[in-house]
Amino acid sequence: MRHTWVRLHAFIFNWRHIFTEELVALVLVLFIFIAPASAAMRFQERSLYMNSTVPGASTSYEVSFRYMSPQPVGSVDMLFCVDPIPYHECVSPSGLDVSRAVLNSQTGESNFAILSKSTNRIVLSRSTASIPTTVSSYKFDNVVNPTDSSQSFSIRLKSLASSDGTGAQIDFGSVKGQVTEGVEIATQVPPMLIFCLAEEVEYNCTGSNDTYYTDMGALNSNSTLKAYSQMAVGTNASGGFAITANGTPMSAATNVIESPSSPTESLPGTNQFGINLVENSNPGVGQNPEGEYANAIPSPNYSTPNMYMYIPGDVVAYSPNVSLMKKFTVSYILNASPSLRAGVYTSTMTFVASGRF
Amino acid sequence: MKSFKSTVIAGLAVLFFAVALLPAATTSAQSSAALSIVPKKNYVIEPGKTVKDTLTIRNLDSEKELILNLRIVDFTFSDDGGTPKLMLAEDAPQTTWSLKPFMTIPKSVTVKPGGSKTVDLGVKIPASQGAGSYYSAILYAAGSADGGNVGLSASGVTLAFVQVPGEVSESLKLEKFGAYFAATASNKGSYKTFMATKPQSIAYTLKNEGNVTESPVGTITLKNMFGQEQKIDNINPNSSLALIGQSRTFTACIKLASENVEFEGRATQSSSCTEPDLWPGLYTASLDMYYGQNGNNTQEVHSTASFWYLPWWFVIAFIVVLAALAFGIWRLVDKFKGRNFSNQRKKLSRRRK
Repeated sequence: MRHTWVRLHAFIFNWRHIFTEELVALVLVLFIFIAPASAAMRFQERSLYMNSTVPGASTSYEVSFRYMSPQPVGSVDMLFCVDPIPYHECVSPSGLDVSRAVLNSQTGESNFAILSKSTNRIVLSRSTASIPTTVSSYKFDNVVNPTDSSQSFSIRLKSLASSDGTGAQIDFGSVKGQVTEGVEIATQVPPMLIFCLAEEVEYNCTGSNDTYYTDMGALNSNSTLKAYSQMAVGTNASGGFAITANGTPMSAATNVIESPSSPTESLPGTNQFGINLVENSNPGVGQNPEGEYANAIPSPNYSTPNMYMYIPGDVVAYSPNVSLMKKFTVSYILNASPSLRAGVYTSTMTFVASGRF
Repeated sequence: MKSFKSTVIAGLAVLFFAVALLPAATTSAQSSAALSIVPKKNYVIEPGKTVKDTLTIRNLDSEKELILNLRIVDFTFSDDGGTPKLMLAEDAPQTTWSLKPFMTIPKSVTVKPGGSKTVDLGVKIPASQGAGSYYSAILYAAGSADGGNVGLSASGVTLAFVQVPGEVSESLKLEKFGAYFAATASNKGSYKTFMATKPQSIAYTLKNEGNVTESPVGTITLKNMFGQEQKIDNINPNSSLALIGQSRTFTACIKLASENVEFEGRATQSSSCTEPDLWPGLYTASLDMYYGQNGNNTQEVHSTASFWYLPWWFVIAFIVVLAALAFGIWRLVDKFKGRNFSNQRKKLSRRRK
């Protein structure tokens, strides 16, 4: 065994004069520079300009990109799919049609003509020629936009050495496009947000007890004043909804009853104004949210029984997506310290229901 | 005459008290607080052009009029989700992305009981306006009640987004990627690497450092230890946005369940995450994400993340199997040692003999 090591060392020592450190470094540098050129690379500065983004409109597309590999290119394949990933199955964007597309103009690497086209594919061809490093662009007229504005689409691009769009790819990459809702498109079911508020409301917002304020009674340091209000909300918008509670805490002139900034239990004898959106036993007030749809929930800070807080502007309930009607009961508690100045303490709570982005 | 005077004075006094008490009575007869509005509007408007649209407002109360005051307020993000933080104060400073200078709406609207009304909305983008995203909210405020300790007021909001096409600055930086447990009523949403319960979604958090709102697209491929793949086709199913400056968490269900539900008499598709088919073990998720505005470079973000799904039953079973194996090996070794020892003793006794 020892002899083997000695022989190996002697062998390497002899070759050391031929394979110097400099030579090894040169080989490594060449490897780094040459290797990518022989492998497929991503097109750079890829973009798609849609002259009109109205769903289903007949318009022009301008596809631009920079060729990266120095190999001669004979054809460019453009495949229109929902998914941009080149090795995934291609699903054609609904409504898109490039079968009547015309190559209107080309800059950079040019002399291409349309070799073949289908509903979602265009193959450009020319005599195989070397490529420059400038950005090239190709403008197509008579392209019919996809009709689904809820999802984007992509064009999977690849350059090939052959002139007929076959064989191994040289460079590849995808560009993203999306149609947007036109103002004039009024045929689709519009998203809507339904919201109602009162001391008591119907589950589907069709009625209420018409009371929009509540008198909590006379403050004293021994007991907790309580009240409740209800709100119902629902949306068919995919982004869901959010309800924020706004308004200053209870005040009388310059005297303010502060609110806890984190969930806190009711503490008689201290100045405290708080709310939550669940059923409580201390004091007994409120109800849990009503409605079978589970998407809409109270925010974590306002969903612990017997724990109250209030920060103006806080989200008190939300749904991350479509939510059928749900009714929330807001519980209010009010405590006062013996030193609280006399006065009529009031607050206006504004609940704002909004969509989400 | 005297009695007439006192009658008049008494009558005036009664009238005075009646008027004084009137506000409390009118509060219960105030505007309806039940409305239906459009939650979001999107427009693409070229510089120098104007878009005219309408907003439909419905009064769900069949007895009272709905009286709304309309105004434009700015908003930003409140967290890494899609909830807007509305700047409701009258003196709130205007944001750099505000639509206030470009948007016109009526100041108030009254909707008959059970009826609906459309109001005009105009957005005019000046010819000199630079490309980018502009957004504000239209606030519909029902009047607040007077009386009692707590007055209640309902408001609705329509979020309005305008995209001005042209060359824009786009930059999304990936901050986090991995298995995600969505927020519940008792917990906030969080990323996890080790988990005892099945994750229902994969999420990624992107910081938007550009001057436009971004809505990324792409796929996530989930691979188990044995190379089996599951693909999440749409990583942004709700076309959610990352606002300017926001670190936005986008979630995608590993297994999506869709159902058709009826909302206000109209069929609506509702989607939610359902329990995925995952076995205990190590999983690797690969993110392939694309973004870019019309006419701008399409940009890519690729990343991988790993997580362990180890339910308690699996951990306990694994420990039991491991302990059984260890015990078996120990017994074997012990047996072998014992045999060796007895052999040695036998040899020793033979030598003595």
